[in-house]
Amino acid sequence: MSSILRQTFVMTRANIFSLPRRLSISLSMVLSVALVVCVLAGFLAMAKGFETALQSAGSPSVSVVLGGGTNQETGSDIPASVIRTLQAMTGDIGVKRVGDGALVLSREMVVTVEVKPVGTDAGRTLALRGMDAAGAAIRDHVSLSDGRLFAPGAREIVVGDRLGREFGLRTGDSVRLGTVDWRVVGTFSAQGSAFESEIWADLDTVGAAFDRQGQVQSLRMRLAEPAALAVLTRELAAITTTPLIAVSEADLYAAQSERTASLIRLFGWPLSLLMAIGATAGALNTMMNSVSDRTVEIATVRTLGFSRLSASAATWIEAVLLAAVGVLLGLALSWLAFNGWQASTIGGNNARMAFQLAVTGDVMLRAGLLGLAIGVVGGALPAIAATRLPLATALRSRG
Amino acid sequence: MTTANHLEPYIQLSGISKAYAIGGETVPIFSSLDLKIPSGDFVAIMGPSGSGKSTLLNMLAGIDRPDAGCLRIGSSRLDQMGEAARASWRAHCMGIVFQFYNLLPMLTVAENVELPLLLKSLSARDRRGRVEKVLELVGLADRARQYPVSMSGGQQQRVGIARAIVADPALLLCDEPTGDLDRKSADEVLAMLRMLNREFGKTIVMVTHDPQAALHANRTLHLDKGAFIEERRAA
Ligand SMILES: Nc1ncnc2c1ncn2[C@@H]1O[C@H](COP(=O)(O)OP(=O)(O)OP(=O)(O)O)[C@@H](O)[C@H]1O
Ligand SMILES: [Mg+2]
Repeated sequence: MSSILRQTFVMTRANIFSLPRRLSISLSMVLSVALVVCVLAGFLAMAKGFETALQSAGSPSVSVVLGGGTNQETGSDIPASVIRTLQAMTGDIGVKRVGDGALVLSREMVVTVEVKPVGTDAGRTLALRGMDAAGAAIRDHVSLSDGRLFAPGAREIVVGDRLGREFGLRTGDSVRLGTVDWRVVGTFSAQGSAFESEIWADLDTVGAAFDRQGQVQSLRMRLAEPAALAVLTRELAAITTTPLIAVSEADLYAAQSERTASLIRLFGWPLSLLMAIGATAGALNTMMNSVSDRTVEIATVRTLGFSRLSASAATWIEAVLLAAVGVLLGLALSWLAFNGWQASTIGGNNARMAFQLAVTGDVMLRAGLLGLAIGVVGGALPAIAATRLPLATALRSRG
Repeated sequence: MTTANHLEPYIQLSGISKAYAIGGETVPIFSSLDLKIPSGDFVAIMGPSGSGKSTLLNMLAGIDRPDAGCLRIGSSRLDQMGEAARASWRAHCMGIVFQFYNLLPMLTVAENVELPLLLKSLSARDRRGRVEKVLELVGLADRARQYPVSMSGGQQQRVGIARAIVADPALLLCDEPTGDLDRKSADEVLAMLRMLNREFGKTIVMVTHDPQAALHANRTLHLDKGAFIEERRAA
């Protein structure tokens, strides 16, 4: 070990042993770093959880056809003539067919409904999706966890497991959606994806109940294979009554999740950075206090011949170590508090979408680095100050 | 100025001036100070408070610099050396004993004494051996693992002396080493300094207010109004 390392090591050790003398101010630095880490980790975990919920909803083997020049379900409209034209096509249009040659297709429409969670007065906006009977089966990873699917023409709904849990909806319950009552006939699981935040019912029944008979927002079709999307797109181009696009379900949700997730991050980062600046000022204060607390000790070892570098390095290391403790604390807290925590936001169809916060390694890395940066930046000036102590003056005070 | 005839001056100050700016005003402490101390001498420096004794000692220790003049110790021109060079000089050429001991409270006695050795390229084993030896010399071998707070002032000062001599410097500087001690402890510390001077040939410069302490030195210099008067020479 070189002399400079030995000097730094022994001074760092002395610094750490002297921490109890300035316990409260050191703790305040640790806590403020932990708070910043917690806040950033919370936002990033939210964005991550949102992405995960939407990404796992989308399948590359399912195509969503949208009409009317939009690339979202909201505002999209598919005229009945288009559906008839598609169904009349007998050649390969890239879509899977059942035994009798019919397309594996579900006509769909989303309306927003107000539902009151158990024990509250404020209703929340949820997505009620009307679909054909094939709709549930077209989707990947969807399975009934209880009861049965809605019957065509009946005022019956199935609800996503997540919604069911949150709103206390169980098979056999009756709920008022819009102006009429609906019976819950089953619940479904979608592996925690965005679908679990939806209520599904028969398309025509939804159309009738919400005075939108015959309307279709989108078509969901199972592709023969993911690459067949290009075939479908080509066939759609031949229909000129209205602009139509076919996107893969995966892309549709990815685009949606990207928008919202980056919005969450766009809000989370500046807030965390602002707090980090405050915490850096606090760290600076803590470390300046540490330097002045150790003035005589620093001057003493410098008089013995210790280098300036060792005095500043040891101070800096103390700052980074305190920040590291804050980072560990913040990460532990955010993991305990946020990981798996249920949250919800306004999702794709202007309806609530629930998801789980995900404190992943990536989230922890980013939040942790910001926390460490507080120590690195906040400790820099005090580290320089530690080298500037005039020895003769410092030694004048009683050791 | 007096010089022991048969010895080369080891410490040589000539034309040293030093002033401090106090409240915008420049207050001179020395304007042209001369001093010669031969190798192996034990000099006590006395003088009224504020006469500049500590300032002088700090300059000899290389932690303060004269504004002008020549300050030579051994073959080193301290007045011309930068901070890094003086730090290295301090590490290798002088030991210092403080009035308030200046031990690091969170380190053990042995760790405190070891500090100057960390600046040398010695193995941990060699360092431990040297620490044990000096602690034995100051009579504290059995206290190595204790912390300074558990010890009396006299014992702490002996740890301070052990730390000052552990790296075996030729020069020992002491600023009121007995200023905080009772008579008995002070006499023990002074006897120790005299032993280091006589048996180990250390050159010692000791600032003191205590005439009895000064009696342990070979000679006493009185510093007043920026100049020295020699008061007493040992036979
Ligand atoms: N860093 C400094 N800045 C301003 N003035 C200083 C500084 N250091 C010393 N002085 C002044 O220089 C003068 C000499 O101080 P010094 O400490 O050398 O005296 P001293 O002889 O050791 O006194 P004492 O016996 O009280 O220890 C004093 O008037 C002191 O106020
Ligand atoms: Mg003094």
